[in-house]
Amino acid sequence: MKEVCSSNTFIEVNNVTFSYKKSEIILKNITTSFDKGEFAALIGPNGSGKTTFGKLMTGILSANEGSVFVEGKNIEEISLGNIGKKIGYLFQQPARQLFNPTVKEEIGFAHSFMGKSKEIVEQKVNKIIEEFSLQGLEDASPYRISRGERQRVALASIFINEPSFLILDEPTTGLDIVRKEQLSQLLKSLQPQGIGIIVISHDKDFINKNADRVIELYGGEQHEA
Amino acid sequence: MKLDPRTKLVMVFSLSTLAVFVVDTLLLSIVLIISIIVSNFFKEDWGFLNRARKFILLLVGIAFLQSIFSPSGEILFGIKDFTLLTTGGLAKGIRVILRMLVIIISATIMKGSSPREIIQGLIQWKVPYEIAFMVSLAIRFIPILGQEAKDAFTAIQLRGIEIDKLSLTKRFKVYSYMFMPVLSGVIHRAKELSTSLEARAFRAYPERTSYIKLELSKNDLLIMSASIVFTITMLVIYILLR
Ligand SMILES: Nc1ncnc2c1ncn2[C@@H]1O[C@H](COP(=O)(O)OP(=O)(O)OP(=O)(O)O)[C@@H](O)[C@H]1O
Ligand SMILES: [Mg+2]
Repeated sequence: MKEVCSSNTFIEVNNVTFSYKKSEIILKNITTSFDKGEFAALIGPNGSGKTTFGKLMTGILSANEGSVFVEGKNIEEISLGNIGKKIGYLFQQPARQLFNPTVKEEIGFAHSFMGKSKEIVEQKVNKIIEEFSLQGLEDASPYRISRGERQRVALASIFINEPSFLILDEPTTGLDIVRKEQLSQLLKSLQPQGIGIIVISHDKDFINKNADRVIELYGGEQHEA
Repeated sequence: MKLDPRTKLVMVFSLSTLAVFVVDTLLLSIVLIISIIVSNFFKEDWGFLNRARKFILLLVGIAFLQSIFSPSGEILFGIKDFTLLTTGGLAKGIRVILRMLVIIISATIMKGSSPREIIQGLIQWKVPYEIAFMVSLAIRFIPILGQEAKDAFTAIQLRGIEIDKLSLTKRFKVYSYMFMPVLSGVIHRAKELSTSLEARAFRAYPERTSYIKLELSKNDLLIMSASIVFTITMLVIYILLR
């Protein structure tokens, strides 16, 4: 085994400042890093900039000052497509990340679009559908299923890419108790594989049970608990 | 000074009418300068002009196309016998840009009024409420649709699709995927909105009362008539000069 990257850091956030409008700074000089295999929780009141922070670490937004590094590379120099191969990002509103006519196509999209054979795609999709207990919804439209089901479809379509890091914006919203427990189990099983996870959430139970580390945002600043 | 939205509408309408009808470069420049002064008066931010730098490219493109296909004036630039740029072509390009700038800049005059005020203005001008309401819905939803299309584009890429490396046909396919969520969002929202309108008894009575009532001040009337007189004068001058 050769160690190419000796460091265990996956995402490094260096002195990042961000504002949508000049007059209102949302995040001020945030510096932190996230490791492989780590389970971090990002909490804070509504409007404190959690979603914004998540988008900065996924390259959807660019920092006004400072930089974000993913596996040591400046995120500005990585295309969204390449980031998507490494980082699985769950939108706060999962409906915004679904764009296929059926659940089956939605989950298989990444593979079928890149020209993988039908059998392989089908096999992978079926496995994931079982994992997220989406049986029976294969041919439903992602827009005409329940909130919790949609959340699971979005998660499933991320997981099929086998990302090496996850940023999940309020993943437990809309999930019932059983599904929440299943998500806990699933995320826990990923950690030993070295997959790092950042969960943005207001769900205290879920965080207390799973997170190794809690970062709170308020007033544009980070407070490590 | 706070102006009535109707006054602003008249100003925007006057300026853009001039921009459309006047073909003279000098007069167009004057109209542009006036638009800039008026818009500045309302302290609109000009950040959007930064994004409009592409206009320069458009200007260059139009100037060349006009010169090649309908040469007029003196030849400025050519390769052997083939005319590439003429004074006439350049002038046409400049005029197109001037026009666009007048329309865009004068439209920023409206930005200070809330959509609600604009609707109220339209209603008091006897535009039927339903139509005014539809206009307000459009104003409210267009930015949301734009955001949704953008989100979909981001989401597609985040599935690991590198747009830059795709062939042209595949790239078009990606764009076609962007319409799905937007379209379904529109239909969904329209349904919910109509239910919600029914639930709140929209059009239950033939007459609607308004909480806000706009009144034209002396200033409004003055500015409105000045705009109209100015526009007519400019048009007359322009026609006489021809
Ligand atoms: N696209 C945008 N344009 C301008 N301001 C925005 C935009 N998106 C968010 N904001 C503002 O930035 C601030 C932080 O928003 P953000 O969505 O990051 O909060 P959040 O912590 O995720 O909140 P919540 O718990 O409600 O999800 C808010 O004050 C919000 O109004
Ligand atoms: Mg949020």
